[in-house]
Amino acid sequence: MTSDGCGAPAGGAALPADAGRQAIVQGQVTRDGAAVQTGYARLLNDGGEFVAEVPLGADGGFRFFAAPGSWTVRVLAPGGIRVDRPVTADFGHVSDVAVAV
Amino acid sequence: MSRSDVLVDADWVDAHKNDPGVVVVEVDEDTSAYDTGHIQGAIKLDWKKDLQDPVRRDFVDRAGFEALLSERGISNDDTVILYGGNNNWFAAYAYWYFRLYGHHSVKLLDGGRKKWELDSRELVKDVPDRPRTSYRATDQDSAIRAFRDEVVTAIGKLNLVDVRSPDEFAGRLLAPAHLPQEQAQRGGHIPTAKNVPWSKAANDDGTFKTDDELRTLYRDQAGLDFSRDTIAYCRIGERSAHTWFVLHELLDQPNVKNYDGSWTEYGSLVGVPIELGDGQ
Repeated sequence: MTSDGCGAPAGGAALPADAGRQAIVQGQVTRDGAAVQTGYARLLNDGGEFVAEVPLGADGGFRFFAAPGSWTVRVLAPGGIRVDRPVTADFGHVSDVAVAV
Repeated sequence: MSRSDVLVDADWVDAHKNDPGVVVVEVDEDTSAYDTGHIQGAIKLDWKKDLQDPVRRDFVDRAGFEALLSERGISNDDTVILYGGNNNWFAAYAYWYFRLYGHHSVKLLDGGRKKWELDSRELVKDVPDRPRTSYRATDQDSAIRAFRDEVVTAIGKLNLVDVRSPDEFAGRLLAPAHLPQEQAQRGGHIPTAKNVPWSKAANDDGTFKTDDELRTLYRDQAGLDFSRDTIAYCRIGERSAHTWFVLHELLDQPNVKNYDGSWTEYGSLVGVPIELGDGQ
């Protein structure tokens, strides 16, 4: 990654070379089995505070680089959809969250 | 300055986007979203390619800003409506930047690209062709930009507002959690800084909270002394531009600066004090 940018790419950033040392939370948002392409995934900490947000990727995917602990993924999509899913993250582990809306 | 002087909603943009003298501009770090669809008539600004110096860590100088706006067909008299992704972070940064170089009429689209998308409003791929102009900028307004030495001097004296997430503030994360965590800087925050994450100023859909809610957030809950000058910072200065917009433009605080060097500069400085943990 670069230190001169801070924006969130759609779907989340690509896995970095040191992915094995990151605490990754990722997943896919679907509706009736099809990817939801317009929408947003937000990561909230265990106090319910906003930490990060990415637009969903073309495959409905999202990815965060968290720290060990309990988090919540919140999905926002057109039509007033708002769905929360709890998730636990740890270094060296990929936590997958499937969200059907 | 009232909210209507600096902020417009989507209905206003729909009604006025083709007016002469109105230029809608999508701003983002990654402008690929613009290419997949944007508000009809909008042009794009790339935060990195257009607004940053390609060599030094700084943004483009006055001559560069004049050349950019002239080439994009923006006139000094135009009302510029800025919006973008990332909850308008980069649009707010561009807003601050337009103000730095003295543009008179500039406003943000409340909620930015996110609310526009969540409301299922129209996005098009047609790229408008705007005739070239001869834009003239002013010298940078140093009253709204902070540099590192004045930030160090401000410790314990001015309001310092760290607008990053609580986990970045405490030093548990070194970058927003949508990015891989980096190693170059020390974690933590500037001593005496209050942590008011930018996200607390916005609703889930990216729109700004009401003036009353914002005043309660900064003054009553975070304990900012509104009689003192304020410096806002984040990691690279765009989230803090969002907070600068709230404090300076929406709440009319007279002396608010954005420290665009922010944590990627401060956290790499030798010898400066750093505080860890969640703060008071």
